[in-house]
Amino acid sequence: MAGLRKSFFIKARDFVHAGEASIRVQSLLKSIHFDPRLTRRVAVCSYEGEMNVVMHAEDGLLSVAIDPDRLVLEVTDPGPGIADVERAMQPGFSTASDELHEMGFGAGMGLPNMKHNADEILIESKIGQGTRVRMTFRIQEEGKNT
Amino acid sequence: MTSAPHFPNYVRFNEERCTGCAACLRVCPTKAIRIRHHRSIRIVTQCIGCGACIQACPAGAVSAATRRPEHIGGDHVAVALVSPVLYAQYPGAMPGGVLMGLRQMGFHHTIDMSFFLEMFQWATDEYIRRNRVSGASPWPLISPICPVVVRLIAFRFPGLLAHVLPVLRPVALMTREVQEQILPGYAETGRKVVLYYINPCPTLAVPPLDQLAAQPLRCSAAIGINEIYPELKRRIETVLASDRIPFSGTHFEFETCSTANAALGAISGGEIANLDVERSLAVHGMEETISYLHKIEMGLLKDVEYIEFRTCREGCIGGVLAAVDKYVAKRTVQKMVNVFGLGSRLPRESIRHQYDKGRFQPDKSPMELTHLFGTRISALSLGELERIERTLDVIAGRDCGACGAPDCRTLAEDIVRGEAALEDCIWLQARRMEKKGLPADAGDD
Repeated sequence: MAGLRKSFFIKARDFVHAGEASIRVQSLLKSIHFDPRLTRRVAVCSYEGEMNVVMHAEDGLLSVAIDPDRLVLEVTDPGPGIADVERAMQPGFSTASDELHEMGFGAGMGLPNMKHNADEILIESKIGQGTRVRMTFRIQEEGKNT
Repeated sequence: MTSAPHFPNYVRFNEERCTGCAACLRVCPTKAIRIRHHRSIRIVTQCIGCGACIQACPAGAVSAATRRPEHIGGDHVAVALVSPVLYAQYPGAMPGGVLMGLRQMGFHHTIDMSFFLEMFQWATDEYIRRNRVSGASPWPLISPICPVVVRLIAFRFPGLLAHVLPVLRPVALMTREVQEQILPGYAETGRKVVLYYINPCPTLAVPPLDQLAAQPLRCSAAIGINEIYPELKRRIETVLASDRIPFSGTHFEFETCSTANAALGAISGGEIANLDVERSLAVHGMEETISYLHKIEMGLLKDVEYIEFRTCREGCIGGVLAAVDKYVAKRTVQKMVNVFGLGSRLPRESIRHQYDKGRFQPDKSPMELTHLFGTRISALSLGELERIERTLDVIAGRDCGACGAPDCRTLAEDIVRGEAALEDCIWLQARRMEKKGLPADAGDD
């Protein structure tokens, strides 16, 4: 059967509304009584992905695709791109500016957190062309409604 | 005034007074209200008893389901369970004086809830200290005191139920104590005992009168503070003016109160003020509560150990059934603490002993809460969710509420569930009229 696809815009540097795209994904999941623990993992991942765009990118998109057997989150942005994806995946590694650090961001836990909470994670990035982070969550039989 | 009979009634709607202005629709945090046929308010089953609609209604059509009894005492033994907020309503009177006033009003027993709040706080300290080692619960732990917060979590944030501190709430400790210490004395005489919970929020569900009458020995009712405020004020003035100390006739320590911090629990931050937990926060107000719950859900605030949430502004003194302005009440509490300082009544050792015996362990698991509050709206299927998205595109409205639903999304949901029609949207109707002659493309199936 057909699943649901929905995208939400993320504005770069907009710290006032940061997190709102994730919250909208959460409410979609809650309306179908999505498994609460899985919802929580999706929430952590969508928020970290959204914050990465807000902090580092030039606007972006948070997309969710829900199918009976899996949920796919995708965070895409048109740049600037990640120079060294493997290093970015190391806990504690951050390229956040001093200003962002002062705001309490840039602990270097974003991508590691996403990796920890998603069943699969795929990061494609090219300097000057942008980044696509694709996270897949498998949906078990119990605890979900279709 | 209709609502499913098996769900508790926290608020009452007066259809004759309702003007259909939709003020209540917008403030409801669970989108529980609909207006049908311009004036009849219909509350759907997900009310969590926050009282926001009572405050928002300019026509006075919404009130709490609490009931002021005609006679207190008389044919029954009246036990007052006293929220600390009551102490904050009477500047110049000490908590003990307020309790004395209540006894003058006809209450046979006055139970000071702050006594049990202190008990709860020490049990909370104990739980948190042990959780640092065991990691049994996730950080941050969430205070279970505000019932509206707990229902909100069960309803909108079921994934966070594991964060709710699994320690019995002060009101539960208080009721148990009354049951164990006071009720047995009356059981032999066969006299009926009524527990009156005097509190500032409409959160206690009130059973219908006939159900009350059916319980022979013990029953309980909720009284809003504003319902007894003027009479109690007169009684307290009499107590204060008298040069003789009236006979109090109390038997238990928790029936009186001589500490000044008893009222502290009524204001925001009062719960964590006495905790031995440095990394704790006090968050109040419905909007802030929801926003912080979102943060916890998204994995933030993990370095905080405990959060005191209250959906009312400034804490419980901001409850809709409080009689005195919340800022005046706050000042009263602060002054009391300034003048008389803080004190404690309970020996920590005995609390720890009771804790080890499991006396603070709640009998309800979080999952039961989910059953009570989480499943009141049936789940949508993926197909229905898609239809809602398409319907929303068709509506393309302004969240005006003219249809009787709080926003366009809720209308779209109601349409897909078969409880409303596309024609309810005035924006859609207006656009159709503009394009008169063209077939109206409904888009819904």
